[in-house]
Amino acid sequence: MPPRDGPSTPRPVAPGRHRDSATLARLRQAGEPALLRLVRNRRQVLLGVGATALAGGAVGSAAAALGGGHGLAEAISDRAGSPRAAGAFADRDASYVQAIGDAIELGAEGLADTPSKAAAAALKATPTKPNPLSRDPMLHLLRRATHGPTRTALAALRQTGIDDWLDAQLDSSTIDDSAMDQVLAAFPTVAMTTAQIRAAVKEYNWDAMFELGRATLARQFWSRRQLHEVMVDFWSNHLNVTNPFDGGWDTRTAYDRGVIRAHALGRFADMLHASARSPAMLRYLDNADSHRRSVNENYGRELLELHTVGVDSGYTERDVRHSAYIMTGRTVTEEGEFRYEAARHWIDPVRVLGFTHPNPSRSKGLQVGDEYLRYLGTHPATATNIARKLAVRFVCDNPPQTLVDRLAKSYVDNGTAIVPVLDTLFRSLEFWIATGLKTRRPLENVVATVRALGIAPGSDAGAAVESLYWQAQSLGQAPLAWAPPNGYPDVAGAWDSAHAMLGAWNSHRALVQGWHKGLAYPKLEGLVGRRPSTTGAYLDALAERLVFQPLAGRDRAALLRFLDAKEGTRVRGPSLGGRLGHLTPLLFDSVYHALR
Amino acid sequence: MNGSELRRHGPTAGDAATRVHADRVTAELAAQRDRWRHGFTRRRVLAGVGAVGVASLAAQLTTTRVAFGDPTTTRRTLVVVFLRGGMDGLSVVVPAGDPYLPKARPTIGVPAGALLAGDDRFGLHPAMAPLHPYWKAGTMAAVHAVASPDASRSHFQAQDCLERGAASVAVHTGWLDRLLTALGPGTTFRAIAEGAALPRSLVGSESALVLEGIRDFALQGWDGVRERTMTALTALYTGLDHPLADQARVTVQALSAARRVASEAYAPAVSYPDGGFAGSLSDVARLIKAGVGLRVAALDVGGWDMHTWIGRVDGGDMLNQLNQLAGALAAFAADLGPALVDVTVVTMSEFGRRVAENGNAGADHGHGGLMLLLGGGLNGGAVHGRWPGLAPSALDQGDVAGANDYRDVLAELLARRLGVVDSAKIFPGHRPKSLGVFR
Repeated sequence: MPPRDGPSTPRPVAPGRHRDSATLARLRQAGEPALLRLVRNRRQVLLGVGATALAGGAVGSAAAALGGGHGLAEAISDRAGSPRAAGAFADRDASYVQAIGDAIELGAEGLADTPSKAAAAALKATPTKPNPLSRDPMLHLLRRATHGPTRTALAALRQTGIDDWLDAQLDSSTIDDSAMDQVLAAFPTVAMTTAQIRAAVKEYNWDAMFELGRATLARQFWSRRQLHEVMVDFWSNHLNVTNPFDGGWDTRTAYDRGVIRAHALGRFADMLHASARSPAMLRYLDNADSHRRSVNENYGRELLELHTVGVDSGYTERDVRHSAYIMTGRTVTEEGEFRYEAARHWIDPVRVLGFTHPNPSRSKGLQVGDEYLRYLGTHPATATNIARKLAVRFVCDNPPQTLVDRLAKSYVDNGTAIVPVLDTLFRSLEFWIATGLKTRRPLENVVATVRALGIAPGSDAGAAVESLYWQAQSLGQAPLAWAPPNGYPDVAGAWDSAHAMLGAWNSHRALVQGWHKGLAYPKLEGLVGRRPSTTGAYLDALAERLVFQPLAGRDRAALLRFLDAKEGTRVRGPSLGGRLGHLTPLLFDSVYHALR
Repeated sequence: MNGSELRRHGPTAGDAATRVHADRVTAELAAQRDRWRHGFTRRRVLAGVGAVGVASLAAQLTTTRVAFGDPTTTRRTLVVVFLRGGMDGLSVVVPAGDPYLPKARPTIGVPAGALLAGDDRFGLHPAMAPLHPYWKAGTMAAVHAVASPDASRSHFQAQDCLERGAASVAVHTGWLDRLLTALGPGTTFRAIAEGAALPRSLVGSESALVLEGIRDFALQGWDGVRERTMTALTALYTGLDHPLADQARVTVQALSAARRVASEAYAPAVSYPDGGFAGSLSDVARLIKAGVGLRVAALDVGGWDMHTWIGRVDGGDMLNQLNQLAGALAAFAADLGPALVDVTVVTMSEFGRRVAENGNAGADHGHGGLMLLLGGGLNGGAVHGRWPGLAPSALDQGDVAGANDYRDVLAELLARRLGVVDSAKIFPGHRPKSLGVFR
């Protein structure tokens, strides 16, 4: 096949371009929104399409006429076709949130010395968005930093206190998780290398990938390293390699272990570096097929838009092209292992945003890529992008810019290390004032139900988790399974769906009534310790046990009506006249469980 | 399924249902593997259906007063199919005589000899054969080189731009949400989206029902407490100042409405192909035929991001995807029969793909794309709009230029088919011009 994308010299840098970029970064860190807007608007005018699009078209046609698509990057005008020029939200989730108009003033802001001090300070302030969830900081912490409170976890947290609990969770290897390891024996491929999986399953068979999905679910249910699991979920979506997909049959498990889990509480720069050597990622975004003669842009683009600086950072289509050039050569062997093939690497100078490199030799292409990834990983726009996503995950759907800036600064100051960023997050008053501002997504709702009920692995955890995996899939949120590269939406507006709500309600009935065989379910009659004598008191005890807080009077009244009971009606039997199994799901259906 | 079969699957009805469901999904996975080369389509196959016909349920299902309006247009339905990933329009409606096409696409270009007759400039991919009778009969048309003048080559941003119906970030709601406002109040089934999540196009102040199949839309558990449970759920979300309260209201209303629809025995007039998209269309056809006031349906089909293996005319992802798409749409049209005249299906995709193929028998993100239209009132059997051609001087950064604005197509559709003349409310800041797509 003839070469279609020969080397050539990039255009000179547009004057002022990088100065603008640096100014922008400084302003972001200084937190001067008005100025920032001004600069951004000016840039939008500068980068606006209209006339430049015409120029781009003309240049493009000239180059294309020379060789039917040769030298495409040079055909792309430097100023036309910047995604930001189109007027971008930071990402999909930010766009969803705009339509809802969430208030971004939360009622408290700032940084305290310790998480517990931040919690105490926030508790004294008045939230601007009151909601029915209890403001108990410990409960709040478990709703956000775990996949849902359990009775055991709450008791442990009350004993150790917020600061020590967080210290342990942020250093998760110190937490004994041997019970989880035993459960994982039901998912043997999760511990296997790519070579072992290739030996264990038939070629192109999806068993290992499904097993990974199920193991992910089991870990969300039962791992004691809960914050680590929350971060695994976060990064799995940030650097999404959908599971299952064809190219992952042998490699996806190694990606989960060696890229996501290994660095989930490490340094993002390291995770990015590992992902760019990961056969699963290189196949998923087609870089394995990219070649200097036939450059595939998929990975080069998403590396910028999704993995690092974000769509509104000001890169151009030409930058995208160069990003793809830099990554050529990173491919995957027949055995499913990473290999840098120098012969595939595109040479000649490259420039993406502020990164430039003469890129003179094929043999050095891997190093150029590593330098480029370091540049991207530590870029202020990457810091802001990741900081915003973390704030969306942990605080609220439309987080205050001051919080985002604070987290971004921590990210930069600490060389992309994640733990200091999370430490800053948990010392931020914005985190603690935001009780109840997140809505559980379908999977989060199911997992939190399993945890709240205290369902444990039973006679056949593997089969039971498989059944729950399909339930999650029918709810549209099987773990790791979002097909496009941008990860599951993380804001309530995207899940505003009768299907999701009804699906959650139905899953509550399945879990309360023990439909997934192979698990150890609690006896409903034993959920409330010493049985209260009146129905009102029984209801209160049950609420405390399952949603960990009291119900508002109106909701109590609704549930008493459901039981055909009054406040003082005597409790005669352990099952509330056969209604306990139908009452219990209603507590999970309620807003007290729907929010987190 | 009878009792003994149930027990084979599990000791209780609930367990059996869960297992049967799991088995079904597993079977689908096996069947759909090829289609999922590029990942899930998110849509599940809908369950099979019963027998006989359906009486109009509109009267019982009206939960809000239907707006006064032209009775001709108020019974019409718009079905928007979003083809996620960036469909390669040049593979679907092919500029047959363009001399630059075979040069740019030595591998993936669809050879002129293989094409179905389109119009004097274009031919259709042979996988479109199930739809060709509709094309020839004038109930199908296309617009090529469609783009938003602002959209970039980012999936997220281009989808976002199209679904909000504006490039400006000052426009927060989705275009279908604004359309619903313009159409006025309606029934529970006024607007549906099939799937788990709410499409960006429907985000805003109007309620839309997001579900996956009418038949499966039911509260599980013991029938004996259903009414009591619904009452309790309603009470738990009444008086709550939170978006969840609205969602709960819609869900509870839809549960009773769906029960009434599902209680009517029903079978589609034709058998649909397998696949989630076909199942969704079957569901939409059922609602249209039931006369429940469906005005807008939003469906998704994933899997169009073909950086690799668009393939050749006789094998590859494009062939597979088009077989699915054309088969499902043709079944939908046949199922509706004469009722198709009151329906308009329009497909959208965030962008077309680059003119020149890449080295992996695929194509990277491009610009000008393709819209397909199916239904009543079309100037059918033709490719509308300006066609800039594939001459190098006509390309936009190596891509099909955006010669036609997607909003022009939609504005004409809304005016001619749904009676929404003031398109400025739907597409702020855009002054539409007619492309003559509709009669």
